[in-house]
Amino acid sequence: MKISGIGMIFTRGLGIGSLEQALQIGWQKPGEVPAHPAIGGALPAYLVDLTATPVKALLKKVRRSDSLSKMSVVAASDALANSGIENIAGKKLGIIIATAFGPHVTTFDFLDDILDHGDAAVSPTTFSNSVHNAAASYVAMSLNIKGPTLTITQFQFSFQAALQLAQAWLNQARCDYVLVGAVDQYGDVLGYVSDHKLTTAKDGRIKPFTFKPTCQVPGEGAAFFLLSAGNEGNVYCDMNAVHTGDDPDRAKVVDINIIDADGMLPDESAYQSALSADVPTAAYSPLFGSMMIGSAFNLASGALMLKQQMRYATPVQDNPHGIRLLTETGSGSVASIRCIGINCYAERSALYLRR
Amino acid sequence: MQDTSLLITGIGVISAAGNNVAETLSSFERGTRNAGPVTLFPTVLQSPVFEVKRLPADYYLEGWRTLSLALIAVDEALKDARLADLTGLRVGVCMGTTVASQLNALLFYKTYRERGAAPMTSVDRFLKGNLAEYIARRIGARGPQISVVNACSSSTDAIGVALSWLKGGLCDIAIAGGADELNHVPYCGFSSLGIANPGLCAPFDRDRKGLNLGEGAGVMVIERRETARKRGVESPLFLSGYGTSSDAYHLTAPSPDGVGLRAALHDALAEAGIAPGEVGFVNAHGTGTHENDLVEGKVLADIFGPELRMLSTKGFTGHTLGAAGGIEAVFTAAGLRAGWVPASAGFLNKDEAIPISPVREKTVIKGHFALSTSLAFGGTNAVIAIGRETGK
Repeated sequence: MKISGIGMIFTRGLGIGSLEQALQIGWQKPGEVPAHPAIGGALPAYLVDLTATPVKALLKKVRRSDSLSKMSVVAASDALANSGIENIAGKKLGIIIATAFGPHVTTFDFLDDILDHGDAAVSPTTFSNSVHNAAASYVAMSLNIKGPTLTITQFQFSFQAALQLAQAWLNQARCDYVLVGAVDQYGDVLGYVSDHKLTTAKDGRIKPFTFKPTCQVPGEGAAFFLLSAGNEGNVYCDMNAVHTGDDPDRAKVVDINIIDADGMLPDESAYQSALSADVPTAAYSPLFGSMMIGSAFNLASGALMLKQQMRYATPVQDNPHGIRLLTETGSGSVASIRCIGINCYAERSALYLRR
Repeated sequence: MQDTSLLITGIGVISAAGNNVAETLSSFERGTRNAGPVTLFPTVLQSPVFEVKRLPADYYLEGWRTLSLALIAVDEALKDARLADLTGLRVGVCMGTTVASQLNALLFYKTYRERGAAPMTSVDRFLKGNLAEYIARRIGARGPQISVVNACSSSTDAIGVALSWLKGGLCDIAIAGGADELNHVPYCGFSSLGIANPGLCAPFDRDRKGLNLGEGAGVMVIERRETARKRGVESPLFLSGYGTSSDAYHLTAPSPDGVGLRAALHDALAEAGIAPGEVGFVNAHGTGTHENDLVEGKVLADIFGPELRMLSTKGFTGHTLGAAGGIEAVFTAAGLRAGWVPASAGFLNKDEAIPISPVREKTVIKGHFALSTSLAFGGTNAVIAIGRETGK
């Protein structure tokens, strides 16, 4: 399975070019959001500014949608454009969107409706936008995609599960291409929950290699990948294995490891056993924030390195455990990358990328 | 070429029509419609609902009604499949839902809104209660896991995902279907859309006035024939095809020309390797809303002809949202196995705008294939094809 196009929107901007720039520049302090008035203060968060995107016509098409759907539409459209494949909507194109929390901001808006106006006076528009597959529907409508359209939600490896299914759909000729996306948004309730259940890095600096204790800074964004069975479009790399729950290829030698560590688990020390002293390791969560779908942005970083034959330094290099880190940015041969995720049961996911 | 390699070795179901397959078939035969006012939460709204009234105490989980319903159906399906021990087997779990994916916690949110802080009980339940993840942990399944949230087609799509997993070698056995509880939030939402029926739903009827919400779960155990053979299990039923397509038309309304449903039906028939004439019956989505039934009825008549035996079982269960596809897939399998389908509850008068009518009485089935269709918010259309082996 090939990655034939990448699109994204995240705190540093729109498109793979924004990611490349972020990888070159490195960590930057995130913005702040005010906490609940009853609590006061502010929390750091890596937020997306949709008003700054140069895709006004596309956003106008989905003006009644919420920010989760808007981020999805913008990133999906960007992935198709990035692929350079013409008339792709006329082919059998599937969509799989992975999300951990879906349109929770709109869900809470709808709860506001119930609490403020009563059961009989709620907004139908808010309700229809609070359904988890609204984002996929807006992607399909705005880009005229009529193939299989699926939204999946898990707290563990949902993006990896989407990739696995895309591979099966391509192998079974259910689709010519599959647009796999990952999206999650920030909201004040989720910000409160994250801050309450996890430790927030008050300085906004996620330290992926501390492992325990960890600190998180919420992020939001969408990353989409156009996947194909052959060498079509703007090929970044081959994804030759996707594992969830375990990694039977753990002994395989690769050039770089990328880990999903981002402080979303209070104990991330299981990553240590997945790493080796022979392989330099990076973690790019400080560029986009802590998200259960953050694997998608790490995958994009890996794909970009393989395409450009560049190595991007891990942006925050606090390293109390002496992990062999990828410390320098520069050109160099990269043939293979393993992207590693760990869940709260210390089970492992792995994506294997090849040049 | 017909592919009979994926056997359906177990089915389980719970809804207002019964707590298991046998009770459900009995309700179907008697034409019992167990609808009534909402008792699960306070509301001023009055659309009748199909609640599960006798949730077995063994399965009661505080604040996790969807999971309780799911586990009842899962356990029945596992028992039916004689699958007590999953050790050494690659078992995937793919479940559809709507309610279990959302933090619809009114009390938590009200408290947070007022005070800027709230007890985390409902948040913890939400984080630990992802449907596929929870079930996989509970039964010890070690294969792939996906919770599908495609609104009303969620669990038809979940069964379709299971089919792809099995064909792709990602697992040997898949537990697939869906579950949803009756919940305050969607109850208000469907009312706001103006499609909640003040009386009992009447799918495909001329005078239909909308849907009734319901709750329940429907689950299938699907496995490779070789796996079943090694376990010493046989079944005449097999999952033979899946089709899914997007209308790309509107967030809540189906495309008037039914283009997405046509494509999904075409793909399901093609994968099953069968012609429309080989389909014994269709368990239609048939919600009882004006638009859904009009579009679906026209498309079914176009593809299969007006003599097709079709029905909607939502007159017995209400619209169970993310569970509907799983429940109706189980009904479809049970109908093929039993050789009959019940009357389409609620249907009295033919709608002249719909060139096909559902069956009015218990009907004996001819043919070895049946389809179950789902149409969803967001314009998703999903169809599965189930077969029954000749002579079994």
